[in-house]
Amino acid sequence: MNDLTKVSIDFERSHLVFPRLIAVVLAILLVAIIIRDRQRILNALPYWRGVFEAMDKPRFFGALGITLLYFSLMVPVGNIWPNTGRGFLICSIPFVMTVGLLFMHERPMRSVISLAIVSVVGPGFVWWLFTYPFFLTLP
Amino acid sequence: MLELITPLFVSLILGGTMVGIIFGSIPGMTATMAVAVCLPLTYSLGLENGLALLLGLYVGGISGGLVPAILLGIPGTPSSITTTLDGYPMAQKGEGERALKIGIVASLAGGLISLLVLYLFAPALADFAIKFSYVEKFLIIVFALTVMAALSSDMLMGIFSGFLGIFVALIGTYDISDGGNGKYRLIPPGTEYWLDGGFSLLPVLIGLFGLAAILEQAELGVPKGHSAGDLQVKERSKFSFKIFRGQGTNVVRSSLIGTFVGILPGVGGSAASILSYTNAKTFSKKPENFGKGEPAGIIASESGNNGLTGGALVPLLSLGIPGDSTTALLIGAFTLQGIQVGPLFIGNSPDTWNAMIIAMLIANVAMFAMMYFAIRYFAKVVTVPKHLLFPIILMMCVIGAYTINYGIMFDVWTLLIFGIFGWVATKLRLEIAPFIIGFILGPSAEVYFVKSLESFGDLSIFVTKSWIAVVLWLLIIGSVAGSVMLSRKTKTSV
Repeated sequence: MNDLTKVSIDFERSHLVFPRLIAVVLAILLVAIIIRDRQRILNALPYWRGVFEAMDKPRFFGALGITLLYFSLMVPVGNIWPNTGRGFLICSIPFVMTVGLLFMHERPMRSVISLAIVSVVGPGFVWWLFTYPFFLTLP
Repeated sequence: MLELITPLFVSLILGGTMVGIIFGSIPGMTATMAVAVCLPLTYSLGLENGLALLLGLYVGGISGGLVPAILLGIPGTPSSITTTLDGYPMAQKGEGERALKIGIVASLAGGLISLLVLYLFAPALADFAIKFSYVEKFLIIVFALTVMAALSSDMLMGIFSGFLGIFVALIGTYDISDGGNGKYRLIPPGTEYWLDGGFSLLPVLIGLFGLAAILEQAELGVPKGHSAGDLQVKERSKFSFKIFRGQGTNVVRSSLIGTFVGILPGVGGSAASILSYTNAKTFSKKPENFGKGEPAGIIASESGNNGLTGGALVPLLSLGIPGDSTTALLIGAFTLQGIQVGPLFIGNSPDTWNAMIIAMLIANVAMFAMMYFAIRYFAKVVTVPKHLLFPIILMMCVIGAYTINYGIMFDVWTLLIFGIFGWVATKLRLEIAPFIIGFILGPSAEVYFVKSLESFGDLSIFVTKSWIAVVLWLLIIGSVAGSVMLSRKTKTSV
């Protein structure tokens, strides 16, 4: 019995001990979930179809797309003026504006103007705060 | 101790509390999101001042949720779910302001009682935990994960989520500074450069609590804000402290329930308020009035959820295990300043410990003063349009993720990856809180587990090491068995 519990760990392979143990536990739990929720899993396709039908696709995918574009452009734009944080500032202003416009339900001039002010003042203030008082470089 | 209270320290608490109340007041925004968004601001503030801001946000964020819960019937934060049950009917009867003030006073009582428990209990628990070896520390983590999973809405999914969090945390190098061999694991070929140190904690947290929440709102079409006319803040009857006559037991019981729930790892404020509310109803002489505008219901719910604030800090500051998702973010603030929280924290950093207690005390009093005297103005926050707030929050999430490791763009992509994961996870019914706790505790669990085996070379050490290990196993088995029995009972009654 004592031998059954004995374990010797080779230091060179010690980085794999815990991840393997957790992977085995995860596999067991996954099997248990599959057995218990088999009916739900079989209905996964109609469920996801329902999710996509019910969602506000322009706002959801629009927000995701604009965010992707924002992240992708920040560094290349920032590299034009290295270590100044202007990549962040220049990309954040249109980002805040477009996401704001996307999330708006009606777009009366007054609301658009307040959004435009927020999209310039917000990123501008944050850029100033991090660049000067905090001395943290943004992209 | 008094030298800690500088004008900057106090201003940060007041500012944090005010911003926290604003976040809590807007449905869809939470205290966790407030802390996540403001975390990068703590870089240059130092630990005590940074914590002052974050604790103010925490207390304000939890408390602010009662505003829309009462005035609109929509809980601003999950912890205010039960406040709607009696708060909104009172508001509809023209007692909106009275209901709000009842909730504010109850919140103060809950916050102060839990702070007292934190002050008395955390040092004692830390003193006890100092004696723990790697074996007991590993078992404490297993216990934390089982308790959290057992209290999840779906235990199996809760356990799975916790282990998934551990698995994701193991991606990267087995750190030499932790006694590891410095080798990679779980890294797809070609990604070693980015994943060398694994995913950073804060971008993961900000993604799960910031971006995922906004994606969820976008999926719903960013529901329109409310106009000032929607607010049921008319006042037909005045608030008086007399309403609390005969409610002492309710206040203390609910606050202690909230504190206890806070001590349990990963269990959120919604469980605290639901448990407090259910108990208040059970022990009430007029249970039939609950749900129809009974002040005792608001008192139970609000003292319960604010009781959570001090409770959730107990395991964090004594064991290094966060009590809820917001305190998980506080670990980020400590990490930023190079401080590790655990049993040695209170003894080694008495100034920080005292600063936290003072900050919590001031934050609770400030929350009360701001909300009690300016509730009509805070109520208007509910009407701030989301199309102005959400893009700014997204931008702050980016800054938080980018600056966390002094400018690594991969952290921003991590934010996006985990934001999308958080959205998908809720659809798959995965539990985010156990995932987070697993993610935070995973690397420590590995070190404790592997080092225990390297030292003793025998699996039985996890049971035979000490009487504490045996007690912890009994607690682990008890929490799983209790949860299974409870789930069977629920199924039978359905």
